[in-house]
Amino acid sequence: MDKPALPCFFPVNINSHCNYIRQVQLKPNISIHLLTAILLYQRERKEKNNLRKTEAMISTLQKTIRPMSTVRGLHKSAVEVFNYPAHEDTVTASFGRFISEVKPQHLSPVVLHRSKRMVLDSVGVGLIGSTTDVFELALQHCQNMYAPDDISSVYGRKGTRLSPTLAAFVNGVATHSMDFDDTWHPATHPSGAVLPAVLALSDMMPANSKPSGLDFLLAFNVGIEIQGRLMRFSNEAHNIPKRFHPPTVVGTMGSAAACAHLLSLDHSRSSHALAIAASLSGAPMANAATQSKPLHIGNASRLGLEAALLASRGLEASPLVLDAVPGVAGFNAFYEDYVPQPLGSPDDNGHMFLLEEQDMGFKRFPAHLGMHWVADAAASVHKLLVGGDHGTVSPAEVQEILLRVPQSKYINRPFPESEHQARHSFQFNACSALLDGEVTVQSFTPAAMMRPDLLALLGRVHVEHPHDNPANFNRMYAEVQVTLVGGDILRGRCDTFYGHWRNPLTNESLRKKFRNNAGAVLPSERVERLIEVLEELDRLGDCTHLLSQLQ
Amino acid sequence: MLRKSLCGGLFFSLGLTGPVSPFQGITESFGAAIHALSTTQLTDGVINRSKRMMLDTLGVGLLGTRTAVFNKALKYSQSFQSEERSSVWGKSEISLPPNYAAFVNGIAVHSMDFDDTWHPATHPSGAVLPALLALAEALPSQRSGLELLLAFNIGIEVQGRLMRFSREAYNIPERFHPPSVVGVMGSAAASAKLLGLSPAQCIHALAIAASSAGAPLANAATQTKPLHIGNAARRGLEAAQLAQMGLEGNPAILDMDCGFGVYYKDYSPSAMADPGAGGFKWILEDQDIAFKRIPAHLGMHWVVDAALAAREKFENTAGNFDLSQIRQVTLRVPPSKYIDCPLPATEHQARHSFQFNACSALLDDKVTVASFSEAQISRPALRELLSKVRVETPRDNQPSFDKMYCEVEIETDQGQNYAARCDTFYGHWRKPLSHKDLVEKFTVNASSVLCSEGVEGVIDVIGNIERERECSSLGSYLRMTSAQHKQLYSARIM
Repeated sequence: MDKPALPCFFPVNINSHCNYIRQVQLKPNISIHLLTAILLYQRERKEKNNLRKTEAMISTLQKTIRPMSTVRGLHKSAVEVFNYPAHEDTVTASFGRFISEVKPQHLSPVVLHRSKRMVLDSVGVGLIGSTTDVFELALQHCQNMYAPDDISSVYGRKGTRLSPTLAAFVNGVATHSMDFDDTWHPATHPSGAVLPAVLALSDMMPANSKPSGLDFLLAFNVGIEIQGRLMRFSNEAHNIPKRFHPPTVVGTMGSAAACAHLLSLDHSRSSHALAIAASLSGAPMANAATQSKPLHIGNASRLGLEAALLASRGLEASPLVLDAVPGVAGFNAFYEDYVPQPLGSPDDNGHMFLLEEQDMGFKRFPAHLGMHWVADAAASVHKLLVGGDHGTVSPAEVQEILLRVPQSKYINRPFPESEHQARHSFQFNACSALLDGEVTVQSFTPAAMMRPDLLALLGRVHVEHPHDNPANFNRMYAEVQVTLVGGDILRGRCDTFYGHWRNPLTNESLRKKFRNNAGAVLPSERVERLIEVLEELDRLGDCTHLLSQLQ
Repeated sequence: MLRKSLCGGLFFSLGLTGPVSPFQGITESFGAAIHALSTTQLTDGVINRSKRMMLDTLGVGLLGTRTAVFNKALKYSQSFQSEERSSVWGKSEISLPPNYAAFVNGIAVHSMDFDDTWHPATHPSGAVLPALLALAEALPSQRSGLELLLAFNIGIEVQGRLMRFSREAYNIPERFHPPSVVGVMGSAAASAKLLGLSPAQCIHALAIAASSAGAPLANAATQTKPLHIGNAARRGLEAAQLAQMGLEGNPAILDMDCGFGVYYKDYSPSAMADPGAGGFKWILEDQDIAFKRIPAHLGMHWVVDAALAAREKFENTAGNFDLSQIRQVTLRVPPSKYIDCPLPATEHQARHSFQFNACSALLDDKVTVASFSEAQISRPALRELLSKVRVETPRDNQPSFDKMYCEVEIETDQGQNYAARCDTFYGHWRKPLSHKDLVEKFTVNASSVLCSEGVEGVIDVIGNIERERECSSLGSYLRMTSAQHKQLYSARIM
């Protein structure tokens, strides 16, 4: 601990009150977002004509915003007497300040471009995910437990809407249902926790004050940036995880940050949103490769939104949640080697979005990222075996298959029994690629999984973990060595698969993936329209065009 | 029992765990026990103790419906709609979807940190009872009082078993707030039982619940701490409902370090005895519960009792208690960062401050619900006394509710010393509250919200719960607010 010892607790109420009062230069349209969102949220939804009434109330509120600000302004000089520098210096406060202060002009062209690719991919993956069993279960749960609350749209289900947090939940489940969503470095799936929450919240805002496409993208980027910053507080987090599933740890925080920003919460409430979210974070890795793993992303999205909404009501949590306070664990409860760093102000020239320097990995087929190396290595052996033809490999030719992959228990599954296990099995993905030359959405259907040829190949797999092959998405490789019955040995190796951040998918490939995914659920005109809307996202006056295309 | 600690396949280790299932893992043993335990296995001792817990939890919860944190959560939860509606305690006109009723009632129970504490340390009832009462109201068919009691005890038992999987858990926590870890599992187990789930579904309920567990301790002493109990109740109930729908998690979740073991540094699980085989014994039988007399962290009870005794010595010797004579107050308490708070600014911080509770006791000769109001916290006399407090953490004073003590020593300007020590406060499991005092605590708490008919109705129903044909009677009494009472009364006269 080289930081000065911090007092145990700060006078939260007074301090947050001061911060709130200092926040007098709220942009009028943004404060209206906050008020209207909360108003909408509180309204009785049984009577449909209430909507009109609410909107009338909102326009009244719009008129009262300015006088309210002026009144607060009068108190400004009085409250400046209070000064709590220690609180201002905390890591937690620096995050709150960033979330509250960052503006669209802070997004560079590279960040804009990359984040639009993420949104496109995440929507496509979510749309195809809306066809899965686990999505169906989650949706039924929400529909059975709660009466219709037609606020926020559900991916790919025409006419189906849910209350905002539940829509964030089911759309998050859809996004991760096939493990088809993006992966960042250090390892987490960043978009699925943020996008459904930001969409659900935008749906909740009244028609006349939807966020612009750029505001929407900014909120999304805030959610991504916060996740990236938090992942860098631990060296352990750079490796493939062993204890907590990262999206349940940083994803909830990212969703809370994005929603806090979209709700225009002030510094203090933004950091309370993060602190509330920290109490809703963390799920064990053991539920990977089960139906509960997609729930992790759904819950991250839902609970982060919930944390921001609770913070907007004034609920408070620890102002030191991100700081490492000995003896009282905050966010460091989830890590063994936690070293937090304050987040610079977005106005400092030094601030750069992490997405600027660290691009995203996009998956080509629906499985754990690690599978992409082994599938590409096996596909090259397949090519050697069948030559240029589109033939298949006969298991009768194969005596032994050796995989040299990193050691990571939860993706080492010799005989997967469910599609969720198959998406987390080096062996399954190597054998599928060896047999078929590629791994696709269809590879994980029960029929494909039960093929005798595939099962025969699985029985011949051995796995080695070379010392120079760490369980780290930035440094790992995969080698597939096939010994034929005749004694010939064929080798394939993949250091960087196509789709990895070092070898990014072209826009054309990304659109192709999107067309396949979205086309599974939506008519093709709508798919093309979505591609156009997402391309134009940062120039859209409001994001209604996006919201209306998702079902 | 072979322990499965790998994160790989889901195949169970071979183990010899009795004739019923030769392939039983730890998680499987829990699923089997939750399913198989029956009301005939409830002993008199367990029935008696668990009824005391229920009564105390309801009283504390009713009082908690008057807190700010409860009302924020209630407003939030009212935005959700459901065909099925469950009661909000102490509100005659509001009902919520079962999950959100469990959420807000759980928050009410822990809103003042006034609810029960077990050993190893957790608040067991608040995560379970709100989930069960919310669920019972929403079920199409009525559950009996005895079924409710059984499900409640299963929720408590599962928490007790899980707490014993780690040595670390015996001490006052430093990383995760225990109710957020074991509470959600208890709520899932209890809800699974009341729903009548199969052994496999019970296992998945626990697995799903494990993904909703764990909140860091830093949010203690804030409004978010009560949310931990509310979320444990809500998300445990949700896990059981999802399992009922067929959703699956890892069926070896309790067996693995990367399963439920992620919440501990020294996780060592063991299987639950087969209730059918006769070797089953409730933990509550051997380990009674502590009930609080003041709405504050359990550790505060030692320091308050010691401070009151030291104050009495001072008063007896000096003839009166003159604050101005005090030069220094020394507290000798166990080391625990999150309850060492020299200058609390909010009620939630005050409930987690050795210093505040010792000083309140010295100043007022008592600590009560009212001691934690803003006006009381900011009194200049209290602030002055706080500035004279010094905290020591002697080596022999361990941060465990089973072993800790508190000493309070007052030093005067004249050089006199008055010291007192508390090893076991009244209300601790070694020195349980009398039934009369427990009912008295309930009555005072519940009367803040309910009319006397409601208060007496709850006491009566809990007193006879094992003979109640329908547990829903409890819900109707819990809604009998003072105002509602008048309405009912006039309606009956007409």
